[in-house]
Amino acid sequence: MKIVVGQGSCGIATGAKKTAAEFEKQLKANNLDTELTITGCVGTCYLEPIVDVYEDNGDLTRYVKVQPDKVEKIVEEHIKGGKPVEEYAITEEDKGFVANQQRVVLRNCGVINPENIDEYLAVDGYKALEKVLTSMKPEQVIEEMKASGLRGRGGAGFPTWFKWNAAKASPGNEKYMVCNADEGDPGAFMDRSVLEGDPHSVLEGMAIAGYAMGAHQGVIYCRAEYPLAIKRLEIAMAQAREKGYLGKNLFGSGFDFDIYIKAGAGAFVCGEETALIASLEGERGMPRLKPPFPAAKGFWQKPTDINNVETLANVPWIIYNGGAAFSKFGTEKSPGTKVFALAGKIKKGGLVEVPMGMTINEIIYGIGGGIRNDKQFKAVQMGGPSGGCIPASLGETQVTYEDITKTGAIVGSGGMIVMDEDTCMVDMARYFLNFTRDESCGKCNYCRIGTKRLLEILTRITEGEGRDGDIELLQELATKVMQGSLCGLGQTAPNPVLSTIRHFRNEYEDHIYNHKCTAHSCKALIEFSINDKCKGCTLCARNCPVGAITGSVKQMHVIDKEKCIKCGKCLDNCKFGAIDKI
Amino acid sequence: MNKFLLNINGKEVTGFPGQTILEVAKENDIFIPTLCYDERTRIYGSCGLCMCEVEGNPKLCKACATEIAPGMVVNTQTERVIESRKTNLELLLSNHTGDCRPPCVIACPGHTDCQGYVGLIANGEFDKALELIKDKIPLPAALGRVCPHPCEEKCRRALIDEPISIQQLKRFAADQDLAGEMFIPECEEDTGKSVAIIGGGPMGLSAAYFLRQMGHDVTIYESMPNCGGMLRYGIPEYRLPKAVLDEEIATIEAMGVEIITNCKVGQDIPFETIRADYDAVLLGIGAWVSTGVGCKGEDADGVIGGIDFLRKVVTNEEIKLGDRVAIVGGGNTAMDACRTAVRMGAKEVYNIYRRTKDEMPADMIEIEEAEEEGVIFKNLTNPLEIVKDENGHVKEVVLQIMELGEPDESGRRRPVPVEGKTETIALDTMILAIGQAVDASIFTGDKTRKGAIAYDKETFMTSIPGVFAGGDCGNDKISIAIEAIADARKAADVIDAYLFGEDIKYRERFVVTRDDLTAEDFEDRERLCRPELPQLSAEERKGNFSEVIPCAYTEEQAMAEASRCLECGCHDYFECKLIDFANQYDVHPERFAGEKSTIDFEDDHPFIVRDPNKCILCGSAYPYVLPELFRKEPPWSRKFLLRLKRPLQHAQCAQ
Repeated sequence: MKIVVGQGSCGIATGAKKTAAEFEKQLKANNLDTELTITGCVGTCYLEPIVDVYEDNGDLTRYVKVQPDKVEKIVEEHIKGGKPVEEYAITEEDKGFVANQQRVVLRNCGVINPENIDEYLAVDGYKALEKVLTSMKPEQVIEEMKASGLRGRGGAGFPTWFKWNAAKASPGNEKYMVCNADEGDPGAFMDRSVLEGDPHSVLEGMAIAGYAMGAHQGVIYCRAEYPLAIKRLEIAMAQAREKGYLGKNLFGSGFDFDIYIKAGAGAFVCGEETALIASLEGERGMPRLKPPFPAAKGFWQKPTDINNVETLANVPWIIYNGGAAFSKFGTEKSPGTKVFALAGKIKKGGLVEVPMGMTINEIIYGIGGGIRNDKQFKAVQMGGPSGGCIPASLGETQVTYEDITKTGAIVGSGGMIVMDEDTCMVDMARYFLNFTRDESCGKCNYCRIGTKRLLEILTRITEGEGRDGDIELLQELATKVMQGSLCGLGQTAPNPVLSTIRHFRNEYEDHIYNHKCTAHSCKALIEFSINDKCKGCTLCARNCPVGAITGSVKQMHVIDKEKCIKCGKCLDNCKFGAIDKI
Repeated sequence: MNKFLLNINGKEVTGFPGQTILEVAKENDIFIPTLCYDERTRIYGSCGLCMCEVEGNPKLCKACATEIAPGMVVNTQTERVIESRKTNLELLLSNHTGDCRPPCVIACPGHTDCQGYVGLIANGEFDKALELIKDKIPLPAALGRVCPHPCEEKCRRALIDEPISIQQLKRFAADQDLAGEMFIPECEEDTGKSVAIIGGGPMGLSAAYFLRQMGHDVTIYESMPNCGGMLRYGIPEYRLPKAVLDEEIATIEAMGVEIITNCKVGQDIPFETIRADYDAVLLGIGAWVSTGVGCKGEDADGVIGGIDFLRKVVTNEEIKLGDRVAIVGGGNTAMDACRTAVRMGAKEVYNIYRRTKDEMPADMIEIEEAEEEGVIFKNLTNPLEIVKDENGHVKEVVLQIMELGEPDESGRRRPVPVEGKTETIALDTMILAIGQAVDASIFTGDKTRKGAIAYDKETFMTSIPGVFAGGDCGNDKISIAIEAIADARKAADVIDAYLFGEDIKYRERFVVTRDDLTAEDFEDRERLCRPELPQLSAEERKGNFSEVIPCAYTEEQAMAEASRCLECGCHDYFECKLIDFANQYDVHPERFAGEKSTIDFEDDHPFIVRDPNKCILCGSAYPYVLPELFRKEPPWSRKFLLRLKRPLQHAQCAQ
């Protein structure tokens, strides 16, 4: 019997460490020597802390939301008594969250202990590297990747084999294989989960890539905001070196490959490959002109290949199972699976991995369980700040690179932020522009000043001061910022503006011409008032932070609109539905 | 190495593999604008102004960074490219803090380079100062005496102590010139083109001055015995001695301008004859008709227009003023008439004005000096009726007492009658200095509603081809001398182009200005006052027409006064590529008006000024300084400053 406490960042954030400590205490108290170990995030972040209890025969009981107070009962009844505590176990419905997925990248996440290489080896870890080094030529590796059809999972969707081939074709003995772990989209945490839950798969992927292109040095550029990922990578690297999977003469093939980690200070633009290289070299993270492309002149002017974490985690599976097995998933032009980070107004938020080609509705309703509080699904933002929104009316769109692009959004790195009827689309665009404005490195005029001006226009619209012509001005400026910026950040930053105007132009018009925010979200455009359902319970008045509500007990209360700061506390606290928000 | 053949803007050109579009274009004299490209440094590609279109590529390409390819077809002038550059410049300018030109230069209708000549005077370079003034003003000694100096009103020095005495510095430079051999600008070679100018006032004289410099044959037709227009016949001797005007007009004649006086077009020579004899005609006939107040009895004997009165004094015509004279109006002409009446021996001189002194359009100094000379100000009164004696001569005036009501559209409080309250003054002469109108009877083309000559504001051309107009006589725009001189300069450029068959339009140049400075920004400055100029006391001056301020500044005074200048205008204006491109691309940065990033900076380098609020981050200076960033803010802040450790002697600041 084995107890596994999920300790990805999400689990730890909800108290998994306390839960684990409680298990240790209880086991000790009961003189039990049951193995207590950890694993990464299984994806159902909304159920954390998660505790898996494996029977010796491999049967699994999954307990969810295990706070320390539940531990005693589990130990008492299950560990000692051998009878699972049904009431704490995952429901059939929640099981569907994982069961309905197709897990390639996340195959080991939430299954193995990421800090123990033996567990990775037990699931055929490093077999792909062995296969490559002992039986394949670099060309064959690239052919296999070509057969898989894997496209870069970082956002651009560029065929992976092509990049490897380009780096391989570049002359020179000194080449670099860089893993881009600078996951920066707000609401995206696919890469972090992989690094925390299955670091070896990335290391193995890098070694395979290094072999294919002739690089002997790998670098992982990981943001310093991911301390747990860095820690687990370091543990994994040390263990791999010890076992001879990193270092000199791997598998006796004569091929040397090692990796070091460079922690980045967390600038969004450093996810852009040329800015990433500048940062690696110790310079300010600002994009450089292309050409030359990194495959020709990258890190220290040497041929460099840069792949994202998720891309690399796919590699060992593809090599081990064959490219054809991978390309069976998904569609013809977008083969394979893709991990999405479901966030926002969704019932079950977390990480899901599905074959490409699934529809948005299938992901949101089939896996995510639909919209929180059963509100109306309005739109989903795909591709983070670089992407766009897809309205509910296009929910049947298949998630493939081509189909998503047609809607004005992008697949991007896989962030899916779900919005309901309470989300103002203008404000949503403003939020993302605020992000990209802050994150612009400042090199290109269009990106530096253009995003700032876009943000100012959006802000004035949300503040009820939009002007006639603002929509057209936004469209004009957005298009020009895209055309006039050097790197992906500026070229995509206006996407949220353009796609919200495309799909929700009426909301913009309502703000500007009717001074109305249909989502009742923009403070400048809403008003709170009390209707005749008021029983005079005084709860609203007592909760109002600015004393804007007056009225005596059992008398209808009144909101002083001059004083009201529109915080919404009255609405949240009213038990009689007597507060109107208009 | 084999060269590639490619096509830029329809022109077949060649270039070596590895060259960029920008390099090849440059070699072939195809201009592509850029602010960050410097062939001596690594390509940085920040400005994005060199955008161009390459056939087969849906995106815009940076010419500085795009390598050429065989058979490449490049277009650097498509609408999309131009639009992209324009908005790019607009964004840069929307975030640009500074004054391209100083407030004084912008305020001057003629855009005289005040900061420039004040600076030259401060350096003791008086001749150069005069030449710089004469670049824009042909009559600096006259203007140095009478210009109402809108420049000084905007002078930022007023936030510290008092504005620079720009007008008196101009007079200083001009008087220095008058005292010696006068500066006469050089004229271009004769073009063989001829221009007739009708009217020898400030507009006509100035236009002659500018057109003559361009090499054209210029003739002025003047109806009066002498040129100078209102400067001569509308401004009294005590403010502008005729001898000064004569000398300045003589320099214009010395340039080869022919002046025919006592020749009234339409009477002594038909307008059509002039039109036929010259390649172009410019009308500058001024506004010489006094307008009335429209009250009862206005037709009485002894009621005379303000400018008619002043003209008669200058031409020595007989005027019977009598002892009691009232002048209606609050402008400079009214003050001139008041003070002239005093000098003509009137015992009681009244000024009748319907608002208070604060609202008077006349210069405060004129009002004060008139008061010193004994003029009685009947403010808040308005003529209700002029009462005639039995001979039909003015006997007395009944004045309606007024009070100030709500502000009108001009912002001044509107005078309203106090019901039933009047005052009567006994009078011998009444002078109406209310306003002026144009007598455009010689002109047969389109006119304005008020009967003035109508012309296109951008081309100065009237409805008659080849006939231009400017100054007081056109577009109902009766103004000050410098405005007429400004018209002359603009019209001269248009006429010059017209004479060679080109159509150009005058456009005000775009400049960046700032309006965020307050007295607080200059708190640390030393307070310094203007040097005092000796002037005749009221007793000394009221009985004669001697110049009230007999002498200009001394050299020491002028240099001290000029040294107070804050030099608000950007020192790099004449080398600035950004402002050049901005004007080429007809920018409207106000579309993107928003918050400007402002960075406090220390101007502590011995010989480099780097103003981060003007910096466009082109990166050109970077290779020349230690690439070491020092951070004033915490490291996570994006604001940082470059510490300049070595001079930027090689870097070309784009801005």
